[in-house]
Amino acid sequence: MRKYTCSICGYVYDEAIGDPARGIAPGTKWEDVPEDWHCPLCGATKADFAEDKINNKSATPELSIVENEANSMSELSFGEVSALCSNLSKGCAKQYRLEEAELFNQLAEFYKAKSSIAGAGQLKDISTLGERDLASGYVQANLIAADASDRGALRALVWGEKVTRILNSILRRYEKQQDTLLENKHLYVCDICGFVYIGDKLPDICPVCKVPNEKITEIKRR
Amino acid sequence: MHAIRNINLCTKDCLCLYVCPTGATDTETGQIDASRCLDGCRICIDACPSHAISLIPAAFPAQQRKTDTVKKTLLSLAESKVKQEQIAAYIEKNTDNPVLKQLAQVLCISNQLMAEDLIRESGYMLPQSQNVQDFLKLLLDTDQPEGFPKEVVERLLAILNLENLDQTE
Ligand code: SF4
Ligand code: SF4
Ligand SMILES: [Zn+2]
Ligand SMILES: [Zn+2]
Repeated sequence: MRKYTCSICGYVYDEAIGDPARGIAPGTKWEDVPEDWHCPLCGATKADFAEDKINNKSATPELSIVENEANSMSELSFGEVSALCSNLSKGCAKQYRLEEAELFNQLAEFYKAKSSIAGAGQLKDISTLGERDLASGYVQANLIAADASDRGALRALVWGEKVTRILNSILRRYEKQQDTLLENKHLYVCDICGFVYIGDKLPDICPVCKVPNEKITEIKRR
Repeated sequence: MHAIRNINLCTKDCLCLYVCPTGATDTETGQIDASRCLDGCRICIDACPSHAISLIPAAFPAQQRKTDTVKKTLLSLAESKVKQEQIAAYIEKNTDNPVLKQLAQVLCISNQLMAEDLIRESGYMLPQSQNVQDFLKLLLDTDQPEGFPKEVVERLLAILNLENLDQTE
């Protein structure tokens, strides 16, 4: 009997146990679990699961970074400046500094309006960028952050990588099923990490960032 | 240092009103009056049965250093998230299909949150930090797009209490 772990939330599918609550009898082999089965915790698809191997040490890619001159601030795009200001606004609100929060918010809105011109595209373009993040962006960033022992950066990368996987898995499913994917279902986003949940039974805590679910907001159809 | 009340946790048990020596806890806004709060007193914090009150320092320590390579790699991922957010916003705005609109809105929010998190970890966690101060000054010192709200940045620099920061960052 083998075990498979959800790469997003860590839920373990154990062939010996199955998933009786969803009609998967104990002893059901992974390949016999229907393709439309989803992770009971976070809604991820079968493709997002990986087999637990006793010895699953993968070869670590070589780290080769060209040190560039630090000039990062002036290299921020308007979109990034907007995201920075909107996060600083939240940081002020957490300290109940409401005037500062409002001012940062105004800056965020200003730069967002200036950056939105560049945005034409389709869902396909979003998933292409997401795939690229997963294939190279996160791989590279994880190595660099580990090399610098940057705890906070590693944390952000772990959350972001999981959320990116979920978004891409949703985009893949939407491509196949179109609007039926969301038919009679509610759609939620975690206010903290961006985790997206499709379904009716919200997990108690966000499977990615572990915040209690009162901070996971439903996005209604308009 | 002064006390703040998390109104989502406050169960209106009023013990903080009984114990506060200055009456700072008894306000109509639900928030504690910082100007009356005695620096570091914390009697209300220990008294509150709902753990709804905490102390915020007036000054913060210098923030953790970020290496340039960490900054660079986080910001390049952030830029990708910003792009995805912008495409999602475009789809949300231009589609007539309410289901696609809803999905695009979700993608937009989610990518914005990821971008914010990556940028914040590249050295901009604390609003009162040296890096944020430098960032705001740079906005004033460099060319900005038309309609730039200069006075907003100036006001922020004036009220963020940046002089209280340990400058060794
Ligand atoms: S003691 Fe705590 S719960 Fe009671 S009013 Fe004060 S903050 Fe609220
Ligand atoms: S810390 Fe002390 S002075 Fe400040 S609000 Fe609480 S009880 Fe009042
Ligand atoms: Zn899962
Ligand atoms: Zn979350």
